[in-house]
Amino acid sequence: MAVSSSASYVKTTISNSSGWKSLITFTVLLLAWISGFSSRLFAVIRFESIIHEFDPWFNYRSTAYMVKNGIYNFLNWFDERAWYPLGRIVGGTVYPGLMLTSGSIHYVLHTFNIPVHIRDICVFLAPTFSGLTAISTYLLTKELWSPGAGLFAACFIAIVPGYISRSVAGSYDNEGIAIFALQFTYYLWVKAVKMGSIFWSCMTALSYFYMVSAWGGYVFIINLIPLHVFILLVMGRYSNRLFTSYTTFYILGLLLSMQIPFVGFQPIRTSEHMAASGVFALLILMAVLKYLQSVLSKAEFKYFFMVAALVAPVLVFLTVVGLTYAGIIAPWSGRFYSLWDTGYAKIHIPIIASVSEHQPTTWFSFFFDLHILVTTFPVGLWYCIKSITDERVFVVLYALSAVYFAGVMVRLMLTLTPVVCVLSGIAFSRLLELYLKEEENPQTADTDSEEEGSGERNSRNMYDKAGKLRKMKHEQQKESDGLGVNIRSIVIVAVLMMLMMFAVHCTWVTSNAYSSPSIVLASYSHDGSRQILDDFREAYYWLSQNTDNDARVMSWWDYGYQIAGMANRTTLVDNNTWNNSHIALVGKAMSSNESEAYKIMVSLDVDYVLVIFGGVIGYSGDDINKFLWMVRIAEGEHPKDIRESDYFTDRGEFRVDAEGTPTLFNSLMYKLCYYKFGEFKMDYRSPAGFDRTRNVIIGNKNFELTYLEEAYTTEHWLVRIYKVKKPDEFNRPRIPVSERKIKRSKIFVTKKTNKRKKGTIRNKPTVVKGKKLSS
Amino acid sequence: MKCILWFCVILSSLCIIKTINGQQRKKDGQTLSERVQQLVDMNHKRSVLRFNGNKFRDYVRATPRNYSVIVMFSAMAAQRQCAICRHANDEFQIVANSFRYSQIYSNKLFFAVVDFDEGPDVFQMLRLNTAPVFMHFPPKGKPKQSDTMDIQRIGFAAEAIAKWIAERTDVQIRVFRPPNYSGTVALVMLFAVVAGFLYLRRNNLDFLYNKNCWGIGAVFFCFAMVSGQMWNHIRGPPFVHKTSSGGVAYIHGSSQGQFVLETYIVMVLNAAIVLGMILMTEAASHKGDVRKRRILSIVGLVLVATFFSLILSIFRSKAHGYPYSFLFK
Repeated sequence: MAVSSSASYVKTTISNSSGWKSLITFTVLLLAWISGFSSRLFAVIRFESIIHEFDPWFNYRSTAYMVKNGIYNFLNWFDERAWYPLGRIVGGTVYPGLMLTSGSIHYVLHTFNIPVHIRDICVFLAPTFSGLTAISTYLLTKELWSPGAGLFAACFIAIVPGYISRSVAGSYDNEGIAIFALQFTYYLWVKAVKMGSIFWSCMTALSYFYMVSAWGGYVFIINLIPLHVFILLVMGRYSNRLFTSYTTFYILGLLLSMQIPFVGFQPIRTSEHMAASGVFALLILMAVLKYLQSVLSKAEFKYFFMVAALVAPVLVFLTVVGLTYAGIIAPWSGRFYSLWDTGYAKIHIPIIASVSEHQPTTWFSFFFDLHILVTTFPVGLWYCIKSITDERVFVVLYALSAVYFAGVMVRLMLTLTPVVCVLSGIAFSRLLELYLKEEENPQTADTDSEEEGSGERNSRNMYDKAGKLRKMKHEQQKESDGLGVNIRSIVIVAVLMMLMMFAVHCTWVTSNAYSSPSIVLASYSHDGSRQILDDFREAYYWLSQNTDNDARVMSWWDYGYQIAGMANRTTLVDNNTWNNSHIALVGKAMSSNESEAYKIMVSLDVDYVLVIFGGVIGYSGDDINKFLWMVRIAEGEHPKDIRESDYFTDRGEFRVDAEGTPTLFNSLMYKLCYYKFGEFKMDYRSPAGFDRTRNVIIGNKNFELTYLEEAYTTEHWLVRIYKVKKPDEFNRPRIPVSERKIKRSKIFVTKKTNKRKKGTIRNKPTVVKGKKLSS
Repeated sequence: MKCILWFCVILSSLCIIKTINGQQRKKDGQTLSERVQQLVDMNHKRSVLRFNGNKFRDYVRATPRNYSVIVMFSAMAAQRQCAICRHANDEFQIVANSFRYSQIYSNKLFFAVVDFDEGPDVFQMLRLNTAPVFMHFPPKGKPKQSDTMDIQRIGFAAEAIAKWIAERTDVQIRVFRPPNYSGTVALVMLFAVVAGFLYLRRNNLDFLYNKNCWGIGAVFFCFAMVSGQMWNHIRGPPFVHKTSSGGVAYIHGSSQGQFVLETYIVMVLNAAIVLGMILMTEAASHKGDVRKRRILSIVGLVLVATFFSLILSIFRSKAHGYPYSFLFK
C-alpha cells in the first residue's frame, strides 16, 4: 500500500528515459494490483472461500446454471423456484455481464485444463477486477493530468474502502466489475474527445456495451457524457473532434445497449435516456449552424442563429413532454426520481425507503469510506478548474454529479469513489511534484523510495546520479528562490505520514467493517477466542436434506436468494423486489394473527416458514427489528387489515416486552420468533425469556401454536423453521354430538376388556332345545 | 402547547356561562333529505362548511343521518394565538378541496370546521379543551374513541388526514395539493435577476470566464455535500443537542446521526484542509518573495496537519473503537 507515494518517481528527471518510466509504471501498477487484491482477502482467510450476503447468492446460482446449461438456456431460463406461484424469467431480468464474465473465465481456464470450480472464480472475481479498475483509473488520470497523478490515483483506488466495500472476495456482485467498466468507458471517452477519432469512440461504445450488460448504473454514463458535451457546447468549445466522438458513440452505444434483453427498448422509451438524444440533436444542430456560418453572410447568420437558438430547444423539450404524455416515453422511474425529489421515496415507495443502502449519507460515512481523500479532492477539483481543458470539464462534472448522488444515497458512494481518487491523485501529485523536484534530487528520491519499501529501486537511484548533471541547468534558476531543504523535507514527511495513515485506515476499515460474509458470523469471547456461528448454513442444509424437493418456504424477502442458492427450495419472495404486492402479501401474513396468516399461507401453498431470530445471541439484523417494515409494506397494499398504529404502544413505541400491544403479541412473526423462548434461560443471571438484542424480557411467554409446528431451530436459535400443518392435521374444535352432521348410531363396544375375558360371537345362533338350527 | 393550556382556562370559565339554544327546536322538524340538500348547497359555495353551535346541532348531532361529517375543531382567531391551528386548517382545506373537486365527490361525506369563537358551546358539549381536534361523526351512532384523529402520533398532514378518513369512512381521497408556485416563481426571479445582471454588464462579461468564481462555487458545493447537508435536508436533525445535565452536545455520539452545527464544523475543517493544501502548492509553484512563500508553505502545512488531526479525532469520538489518531487524541 505504500506504493502510493512512488508516483512522483516518474517526474524525477532520472527517469526521463522511457524505459525507466514504463518499468516504474508497471511496477507500481502491479504492486497496486497485488495490494488491492490481498487486502480484499480478509474474509477468505478468516472464514473460507464462500459467497457473501444476499444478492451474490443469486448471481452465483445463475452463474452455476449458465455454466451447466449453456448461455442460450440461461437467457431463456424461467426460474419456477422463485416468486412462487408466479415464477421469474431470469434471462430477461438480469444484467448478464457478471455471469458471462465469470463463465468465460471458467471456460478459458478449462480449455487450458485448469480445473477451477466456478465458485472460486466467483469469489475471486471482484478482487481481480479491482486491479483492472486501478489500471483504468491510471489511464484516465493520465489523460486528464499526468502519469504521476495517474499512479497516485491507481494506488488510491486499489485500497480505498469506498470501493472495497463492494468488491471484497466473495461479494460477487455487479458493482465489482461495473466500476472497472465505468472507469474504462470514461477513459476511452476522454481519449476519444481528445483525439476525435472514430476508433476511440467505437471503443467507448463497446466498453459502454459491457457496462450496460453489467450494471444498471450505466444510466450514469449515458447522462454524464451528454452533460459533458452539452456543457462544452455552452462553453463554446464545440469542435469537430467532439462532433465525431459523440455522434459515433451515441449511435453505436444506443444500438449496442438495446441488445441486452433486460434493457431492451428502454434507451428510446424512457426519460432517463432522453438527455442523450436531446444532446445528440443539439450537436447536429450546432454542426449545421457551423456549416451555415461558413456559407451565409454575417448578418444573415446572426438572424438565423437567433431563430434557431430560440426554436430548437423549445421544440426538443416540447417533443419530449408530448411523447411522455402520449405514453410513448415512460416517465422517470421511482428509483431515479427519488434522487431528485429527496422526499419522494419515503412517502410513495416504502420498499425503496426500507433498504438501508438507500438512505442519505452522513459526513461520517464519507470520512469512513474515503478518509483523507474526502478532504483533499476539492484541491484537485480546484486545479482542474484553474487550468481547464475539454477533458477536465468532464472530470469536474463527474465529481460534482457524483458527490451530489453520493450525498443522497449511501449506495452511490461507489460512483463517487473513483473520481475522488482521481482528483486526490492530482492534488497529491501536484504537491509532491513541486516539493520533491526542486533541488537535491537524490535526497528526495531517497525519501520516496524508503516509503516505497523496495530496496532494489533504492539502490538504483543511488547509482543513477548521471542524470543529475543534465538537470542542473534546468534547476539553476529555481535554486536561488527555493523554499529550502528544511521546509521541503518537513512538508514531505508530514504529507507522507498522512498518506500512511490513509493506508492504515483503509486496512483497518476493510478488516473490521467490510470483511464479514454475513452468512457466517463470528463472535469473540472475553479471552479473545473466536466462536463461529454457522446457523444460517446449518438451517439451509437442514432444509435441503429434510424437506421435499418442491417444498415452498416462506420467509421475508431478504433471505429469498439464500434459500434458493443454498437450500435449493422454492421461495415466495426474494431480493429481486419486482412485485411489491406479493411482498406485501407475505408481510401481511407475517403481521396478522395465526388464523388470518394461515389463510394466506394455504392460498400460497406454503409448506415451511423460516424466521431469523437474534434474541439469543444478540444479532441485531433479525426479523423482529425488520418487522415494522413488513407492517408498513403490508399496510401499503392492505390498509384495511394491517395498521401500523396497532403495533405501537400508546406512547408511540415499538416494544416487545410486557407493555407491547396485543396485536403485536398475536402476530405470526412474534409467535414464531418467541415460540418456547419464555422457558429459555441463557445463564444463571438473566431471567427466562430475556431477549439480548432488545435487552428486555419478552411480554408474551406462554403460548402454543395451532396451525404450525416447530420443525427445526438452529444451535443459537438464529434460524427457526416451522412446518405449516395441513388442514387435517391441526386440532379441530370438538363439535357437540347434537350438532354433528354425521352421527354414529350403533357403537360397538368390544367386550374383550371385560374382566371375565370371555369371548363372544357376533350373530350367535340361538339354540332352542328340540329344534334344528335354522339355515 | 401554549394554546392547550390557554383553552383549559377559558373552558373552565365557560362552564359557568349558560349557552342559549332556543332556536334549536325550530328547525328540528327538517327531514333528512332537506338537510342533505342544504348541506350540498352550502358545499357548493365552500368546500369546508363553517358551523356554529346551532348548525352543528342541526347537521351533525341530529338523527337520522346518512352522511359522515369530518369536523375540525379549531381556534383561528388571532387573539387565540394558536399557530398550529392555521397549519392544520391549511391541510384540512387541501383534503376538503381534493374531495370536493374529485370524481368520488358525493353527499355521503362533508367537511366542516367549528371555530371556538363561533361555537364555544360545542367545545363544552364534547368536552374538548385543546385545538385543533379532528373528529369523524359516522352516519350511525356516536363517535368512538378511534373517531378522533390522533394528531400527536400521525400529525395532521393532508395525506395523514386522507388516510385516516379512508380508514374511518372507506372514502379514498387522493390528496391533490395545489402546485406550489413559490419555488417556480423564485427560480424565475433568480433567472430574471441573473439575466438582467448579465444584460447590464453585457460589455464586460469577463467575470463569466473567471475561473476563481467557478472554482470556489464547485469546491463549496463539494464541501456542502461531503459534510452531509443533504442528510440534514432529508432527516432534519436538531441544531445542537441539549443533554439532560444542561450541557450542550455539538457532536452526535453515534456514527448513525449528526447535528446541524456538527456538519458546519466539519465543513469548516474540510475547507481549512483544502486551503492549507492549496497554500502549500501555491507557495512552491509561484515566483515571488522567498520569505513570504516559506511562511505560506509552513502556514499551509500547519493548517493541513492541525485540521486533519481535528477531523480525525472527531471521527474517532464517533466511531467507537477506532484506534488511530494524528497529533491529538
